[in-house]
Amino acid sequence: MGSIVELKEHKNNTEKHSETTDLALFVRTSSEDLAGWDRQRIIDALIREAHVDSETADAISQEVQDIITNSKIKYITAPLIRELVDTKLIERGLEDARKKHTRLGVPLYDVDQLILHPNKENANVPHGPEATNLTLAEGIKKEYALLKVFSPEVGDAHMRGDIHLHDLGFVDRPYCSGQSLEYIKKFGLNLPNSLSNAKPAKQPEVLLAHMVKFAAALQSHFAGAIGWDAVNLFFAPYLVKKSDKEVSQLAQMMVYEFSQQAVARGGQAIFTDINLYWEVPKHFEDVPAIGPGGKFTGKTYGDYEKDAQRFVRALFEVYKEGDGTGRPFFFPKPLVHITEKFFRTDGHEEFLMQICDVASEKGTTYFVFDRGETAKISECCRLSFKLNESDLNDAKEPWRMRFCALQNVTINLPRLGLKSKGDDAALFAHLTSMIELAVKAHLEKKTFIESLLNLGETGPLALLTMNKDGNPYLRMFRASYLIGMVGLNELVQIHTGEELNESKKALKFGLKVISHMNLLCDKYSKEHGMHFVLEQTPAESTAYRFAKLDLRDFPEEAKSYVKGSIPFGEIYYTNSTCLPVSSHENPIDRVTTEGLFHPIIEAGAITHIWLGESKPSKESLANFVVKVFRETQNDQIAFSPEFTNCLQCQRTVRGLRDSCPLCGSEQVDGITRITGYFTKISSWNKGKIGELKARNKNKGSFVKK
Amino acid sequence: MALQHNLPIKGFIETSFVDWHGKLCAVIVLPHCNFRCRYCHNTDLVLRPEMLQDIDFGSILKRLAQLKGWVDGVCISGGEPTLHTFLPDILAVLKQQGFLTKLDTNGSSPTLLQALIDEGLVDYVAMDIKSSLDEDSYCNITQTPHMLKTIKKSINILKTGTAQHEFRFTVVPSLHYPEDVYRVAKQLNGAARLRIQNFNPQETLDPDLKSLTPLSDKDIAHIQKRVDQLISIH
Repeated sequence: MGSIVELKEHKNNTEKHSETTDLALFVRTSSEDLAGWDRQRIIDALIREAHVDSETADAISQEVQDIITNSKIKYITAPLIRELVDTKLIERGLEDARKKHTRLGVPLYDVDQLILHPNKENANVPHGPEATNLTLAEGIKKEYALLKVFSPEVGDAHMRGDIHLHDLGFVDRPYCSGQSLEYIKKFGLNLPNSLSNAKPAKQPEVLLAHMVKFAAALQSHFAGAIGWDAVNLFFAPYLVKKSDKEVSQLAQMMVYEFSQQAVARGGQAIFTDINLYWEVPKHFEDVPAIGPGGKFTGKTYGDYEKDAQRFVRALFEVYKEGDGTGRPFFFPKPLVHITEKFFRTDGHEEFLMQICDVASEKGTTYFVFDRGETAKISECCRLSFKLNESDLNDAKEPWRMRFCALQNVTINLPRLGLKSKGDDAALFAHLTSMIELAVKAHLEKKTFIESLLNLGETGPLALLTMNKDGNPYLRMFRASYLIGMVGLNELVQIHTGEELNESKKALKFGLKVISHMNLLCDKYSKEHGMHFVLEQTPAESTAYRFAKLDLRDFPEEAKSYVKGSIPFGEIYYTNSTCLPVSSHENPIDRVTTEGLFHPIIEAGAITHIWLGESKPSKESLANFVVKVFRETQNDQIAFSPEFTNCLQCQRTVRGLRDSCPLCGSEQVDGITRITGYFTKISSWNKGKIGELKARNKNKGSFVKK
Repeated sequence: MALQHNLPIKGFIETSFVDWHGKLCAVIVLPHCNFRCRYCHNTDLVLRPEMLQDIDFGSILKRLAQLKGWVDGVCISGGEPTLHTFLPDILAVLKQQGFLTKLDTNGSSPTLLQALIDEGLVDYVAMDIKSSLDEDSYCNITQTPHMLKTIKKSINILKTGTAQHEFRFTVVPSLHYPEDVYRVAKQLNGAARLRIQNFNPQETLDPDLKSLTPLSDKDIAHIQKRVDQLISIH
């Protein structure tokens, strides 16, 4: 690749190049010498790509030819010619044409580094040839996004670190997707462009196979998480005549299938969330159930409570075991919904003990609190959608329940503080303009995705346009647009002099900032007829990136506020609206105080309780969970223990250690929650390592005089 | 009551998930100990408590008032809490504030223990058993002679009395053998529970023990299972 033939093949016939395959074939068969030199190709490219008039194009091509001839170089590559042409465009002040004519690519050195060293932006990407492909492709699409999809205003704001446009390398996909099994139960696995089509599953194992494959298909069409609603309930009609042993086997298959999918896109596990219920959620009680063969069973889901419960219990037995070496399963993440009806449903005490046991033992359980009569479906790290009126109508035909967020844009809050210098009016003006910018970014992404969807069945997003029930799979009219935040704590500290946990006044100010953001979301939602919502950004790498950029651009001011260790480069901002991780808030204060923000963060929020080495009794955790449901507004909690996995003896012990206490080997890897999921610490970026060192593990300590 | 004055309280954990089975509790830590257990992991608290800062009891009470409804009870731990004459007084104050109370003890003050139970000042007692119940073993581990008779008295108070309780046994490889633990379990037959705990080598009073490898979780679970059977056989 990268030879002069890139220009040559464009010469005759542009139509031929609408398919990437032809182009690749052509390149491979071309010779790589200068024999093919033809000045006309430069002219053609300038006219076709950069809309330069033919006279200018001719002059430029002549000048470039002169340079090449005079230089007497023997080998020349297409990228070099292109850069020479671009230089000529710049000399003429044709900046816009230069941009259109520019080339996206990667320096040799960078490719070398990438192939040899792991990528730490996302700890869910392992190191390997597939991962390298993913990173390379992401790199080019990122550049493409910034040049082509987004306006310079938005692109520059991202580059500066005022905002962060998430998953730019996946610009041609929506962000995340939530659905139920009902779609594949009813329609089978019948995807556009697939080699074979399957009718609706008749056996639970087949349904699971369809689910896994559909999840993989979705993963390659979305940037982020794939969530499934009420998984245990929707499986239930397939389990009626199955023995407990068969149900256990199925549960084991499901957990292993999703946790070992690290062979899919870019070697990444599918970021999978499964929503689980002990009770039959009220909105599904009277819904006709779909069973084997995609047929209605004649019963409603209310009749399948017992089988749904058998399945969810079996799933948690698998989670309790952990994998073959006793490690917690990273995926699929089980989100258990705690509702009023949960407490009215027989057997809930015992089930609560079971999931708390798993939480203490492995940390795997997520507790999602749906208070009052709201129902929610959660997905992604923290994203959850409240089911409103029209969703509840959808619930009657649950295959229609397909939700997505199109994009996530995060605002660098501490920077607004640094710019405002303690002036309230300035701060809120800056905040407003940042939200406006995020809205603009969403509009631009929406336009782009719509243009891809409009290509329909022959377009790149054919899967999302398949229409089996009167609507395309991706229902754009139901899409959400996420606006996230990083470092509320540091913003408040810069602006008021105190961190969120240091005074009532500081906390109140923090709430004011988030409420303001929420009001603006409402305002722009009405204005544009779109659904803008706040989300707690997982900020796995953003919290690090913002801190780094602020330290670069505001070195004097920022150094007192970034968290972590500056000399080690292990710096970060506190995630979203969380209290500082190092604060000695006890878990009660943490869930209560952080919970105050949760009702205004519509797309979902979570409080993490870091357990460190300690292993509480399931009874104590259950006690705590019930109190969190009753006494706070907190949306979701998870307990995070820490583990050390020995690479030598393959055993897993509690706590983070430098060597294996069982065999003494120093070949160990720590495991704990990075943001919304468990992973190996060796894959973390430096910012998160800094955060890990500061996390308060709720241990008592004595203070030396 | 002299409680307003500076009490030597050395630690206060606002919320603990691990110090009271099934409950959320706060923990107050008192210094000094009459034992010198070789595997003790609170050495500063036992040997050099004057190096540690005191925490004001008034501020502890204020904080507890805010945590009311969340925190079910308060655990008094140490060191050995029964060495302090003010122990009944702080327990009384905590009860007055409506908290359940738990005492962690090594069982070396049976008279006080009995009195606290009779007065209704403790709701739950956790007593540590250090070794096989014979004079030599106990002396070897605690490095304190002639304690066995006293210890047996405390065991009896808990076993035959009305107070909710549990016994705890920290298993240290090379100091204890599973058979020792099983023998103790048989001797405690009829008690509510004997909880097996793993040894933590990170800080030990006897530095030689730091190099010991603790048992695996699986081993602990195995011992616990056997102990549960032995303690409940009639």
